[in-house]
Amino acid sequence: MAASMGTRREKRAAMARIVEIENVVKEYPLGHLSVRALNGVSLHIDAGEFTSIAGPSGSGKTTLLNLIGCVDVATSGDVRVDGESTGSLGDRALTNLRLHKIGFIFQTFNLVAVLDVYQNVEFPLLLQGGLSKREREARVHDVVEKVGLAAQVRQRPSELSGGQRQRVAIGRALVTRPRLVLADEPTANLDSKTGATILDTMKELNKAGTTFIFSTHDPHVMSRADRVIELADGMIVGSGQEAA
Amino acid sequence: MIPYEKRFFLARWVSNLGLFFAAVVELVRHLPLYLTIGGRNLVQAKRRALLLGGALALVTVLFIVFDGLVSGASQSMTHSVRTLISGDVNVAGFYKQTPDSFAAPIVLHAADIRKIATESTPGVDYILTRDRGFAQVFSDTTTSFTGLSGVDPKEETRLLKTLTLAPEKDYEKGGGDQRKGDLSKLGTPHTIVIFAGEAKRWGVEVGDVVTIVNPTLNGTQNSLDLTVVAICDDLGLLSQFSSFVSNQTISDLYQLKPDITGAVQIYLKNIDDSTQVMNHLRHVYAAKGYRLVDHESTPFWRKIQEQTQESWSGQKLDVTTWEDEASMFTSIIKGEHWFGGFLLAVLLAIIMVGIINAMWISVRERTGEIGTLRAIGMSRSRVLAMFIAEAGLLGLIAGGVGALVGTAISLAADAAHLHISVAALRMFLLSETYTLYITVPAVLGAVVGFTVITVVAALWPALRAANLQPVTAIQQVE
Repeated sequence: MAASMGTRREKRAAMARIVEIENVVKEYPLGHLSVRALNGVSLHIDAGEFTSIAGPSGSGKTTLLNLIGCVDVATSGDVRVDGESTGSLGDRALTNLRLHKIGFIFQTFNLVAVLDVYQNVEFPLLLQGGLSKREREARVHDVVEKVGLAAQVRQRPSELSGGQRQRVAIGRALVTRPRLVLADEPTANLDSKTGATILDTMKELNKAGTTFIFSTHDPHVMSRADRVIELADGMIVGSGQEAA
Repeated sequence: MIPYEKRFFLARWVSNLGLFFAAVVELVRHLPLYLTIGGRNLVQAKRRALLLGGALALVTVLFIVFDGLVSGASQSMTHSVRTLISGDVNVAGFYKQTPDSFAAPIVLHAADIRKIATESTPGVDYILTRDRGFAQVFSDTTTSFTGLSGVDPKEETRLLKTLTLAPEKDYEKGGGDQRKGDLSKLGTPHTIVIFAGEAKRWGVEVGDVVTIVNPTLNGTQNSLDLTVVAICDDLGLLSQFSSFVSNQTISDLYQLKPDITGAVQIYLKNIDDSTQVMNHLRHVYAAKGYRLVDHESTPFWRKIQEQTQESWSGQKLDVTTWEDEASMFTSIIKGEHWFGGFLLAVLLAIIMVGIINAMWISVRERTGEIGTLRAIGMSRSRVLAMFIAEAGLLGLIAGGVGALVGTAISLAADAAHLHISVAALRMFLLSETYTLYITVPAVLGAVVGFTVITVVAALWPALRAANLQPVTAIQQVE
């Protein structure tokens, strides 16, 4: 009886976990050598968390985010996203996982330069398919309002400020209503005031239920996270709870 | 067992092929979006797009104009051959008195031969009989050679509609626009109807008398004086060596008996049926006991020597198509097609290298964007569709502009009836004037063809873009 109670609790816990990483190693070839970017990393992230991955440059933050975001695969170990082991998935399945369950926010915004704000935000919905034009319009306008860009929908990225571009990137990441949003140094290219506003926006969206994992080496940004996972030389050197 | 490397190569090709078809389906599903992205990317890289598009448009213009010239030459040739020397199908032949004698290009019992043709030809429009000859011409100032067609004016309604009197200035120095002569006299005994080029060369005008000289079938020299009753506008290169006289003139010149002709010329409702009808008639005549010359795609006059050397006597029929009689010219047309094809291939190879190069640069410049799009869930086939759309759009716009300009140039040049001053070019184009024949399918075909070529050239770099690993592509930005 006690054993079965324990199993049920474990299952419930597993359901709530959106990311499970067990003993992950990631090596990159460098000529005849290989560089180990992650060295036996294990961590769990629950749904609804607002987690920061912190550490100096070269500590493995981006590599870890790339593995969680299914844009890269581990050399060894297991990465599970929303219950699916990414190492066993093919290119198409990984693409679908990224499309339907994960949103990306990049340090350099990475918007499609030739599309306007509306089209950039709408793009993942077009890739997903399944929504009518009217439904897509409603969804895009909703997200664009949330990130405060309702007045700029027909402007191209080149006509926007850095903060506005990052808001477009947030809108693009959120429009598909993903379970998990990954942000790689989302405020690194912004001034502190704009960076704080972006974090406010992310935090608000997190309260609405979206899990956020973001990398940073800025202590001010770290201070906004519920949990900070510290990396150094490809290993977790600390994990602490902070008051957001 | 297939070696590993080959299996890998094969698997990669199969994968790329699958990717391509998936990309085409994707393109069809979201065409406006991909065209928007493609169009805006072209605008963003406008200098490169303009250079490449300009080169593509220029090649399209060259292609349209050259194709128009070759098609024009082909049309001129078909028109002049069917007007001057041949029906769509001809029943002609050779007659030898003895195995060693000259093979005269004549048909005995012409009425019977014509009757069989009339009764047995499917899809016939009309039939006429023409005598054939070749003679030396003496004018007051020069001597030359001409092919003679002996006609019966009652049968030559189409010829009379086709021939037009040439203005005097076309054959006489200081001549005016006046068109002298009377075409109603075509086929009147002891008259001759010639063309402007011949009149100029012979130094004659309407009313002048020329003397034609030729050996008879018995080998004695015979001559006739003929009055020039009409000088017509040239009908391509062939009209430089063609003239019309009456049936009686040919009979007199060669001293032929009645019921002998040169050829029964059959005109069909559909010229494309010529070969089929020729084969049918060969069977019909053979079944009725006529001996036939083996089919050879050469004009009748080139067979005379060969038939003379063969050891047979009596009559042999020779059933041919207009293409056989025009085979020397069709060889020129074929040569022009090959030459044009070669030129086009060289130009296209250069353009394709340019497209591949430009697309490589585009892929390199946009590697980060590709990484982002892959990261947000864009599949490889969709990345491929994006680049195909861009290349296709470039090809379509450049090809379209080139086709429009090429068509405009061709139509203007054709309407201007510009005289070809270089003799070699006149020979090459089988015409006295620049004749350009443009058809809608040819123009549309050029646009579609150049668009497809642009897409094919872009495929290699586009496949590379599609096969980029997302993490590799993202790192290009970071």
